[in-house]
Amino acid sequence: MAVDADVVRLRRGDLNALSELITRYQNRLYRYLLRMVRQPAEAEDLFQQTWLRVVEKIRSFDASRNFDAWLFTLARNLAIDHLRRIRPQSLDEPLANSWQSETVADRIPCKDHTPLDHALAAERRTEISEAMAGLPMMYREVLTLRFEDEMKIEEIAQVTAVPVSTVKSRLRRSLEQLRYALEARYPGGTWQ
Amino acid sequence: MSEHDKFRELLALAAADALTSAEEKQVAEHVRSCIACSDELGAWRPLASELRRLPTPQPSSWLLQSTLARAEAKLTEQAEHDWNRRVLIVVVAFAWLLMIASWLVFRVVSGRFGSLLDPQFSHTWISFAAFTALGWLAGGVAAVMLAVRQRGERRLA
Repeated sequence: MAVDADVVRLRRGDLNALSELITRYQNRLYRYLLRMVRQPAEAEDLFQQTWLRVVEKIRSFDASRNFDAWLFTLARNLAIDHLRRIRPQSLDEPLANSWQSETVADRIPCKDHTPLDHALAAERRTEISEAMAGLPMMYREVLTLRFEDEMKIEEIAQVTAVPVSTVKSRLRRSLEQLRYALEARYPGGTWQ
Repeated sequence: MSEHDKFRELLALAAADALTSAEEKQVAEHVRSCIACSDELGAWRPLASELRRLPTPQPSSWLLQSTLARAEAKLTEQAEHDWNRRVLIVVVAFAWLLMIASWLVFRVVSGRFGSLLDPQFSHTWISFAAFTALGWLAGGVAAVMLAVRQRGERRLA
């Protein structure tokens, strides 16, 4: 595995390397935290805490290892601690309010689709996002890591500190629960 | 569990591209001969496809700037801490050298005057122990004074 030059520079205390890494991981990390805690203000706080933890621990990080997995593990531990602290009764209480926001890219119409197609696709994704937000935390987590962050099963196993077989089983169950949730919300299959 | 049920359980994972190449091959073979599983796989694919295209929430530019500022402050603080630790190590080493060097001087001086007063006073080990204890005592007093001062500074900050 190639050693990340920015990580090596950060280990030497290079501020520019830190800026590069924050810029590179900003969307992925923020999205992951938001999927975990579902509240933008909490995700923002955890985003900051994660980078502070990175600065604190970067010297103990083995630069030949996978930085992505290490970063997401730090973020995950902070998010779980946070959820335990603020919602000790249940980590997976579904929230009513939606946090969803679109990117500029999502609003650019595709040449092959009509505006109606685009609107329907956006609506479908909103429905899926809302259904996903209602799933238990460990299922939201595995879905976002696999489909949005495009992590391999082995990487997800590293981040979540569970065996590959457990990741697969969680992934299967999360997809099944998401599908059932969508079918329950939209009995006519309108989300498809 | 029948063969069919076993493959059916793998269909969601197949849509998520989460199978090993061997499993993928087996599922593909089964799906070719099983219409029910082929339909089921067809139902999983749109969901997997949409999950890959969910809109990405963007962190605000304020958050990025604020994070960078806090992380930079932490990095600077750590660099200062490391520097202080290095300085402390050098100072401690220097203090020990100074104490050993001054012991030689002390011995010469005390040996001369001590032997005049009491011949036992010039006993090397007792004198060295007393001298070392004096050195530690002085170090301890200095450490307490520094800690009190640091606490005062923290309170002001």
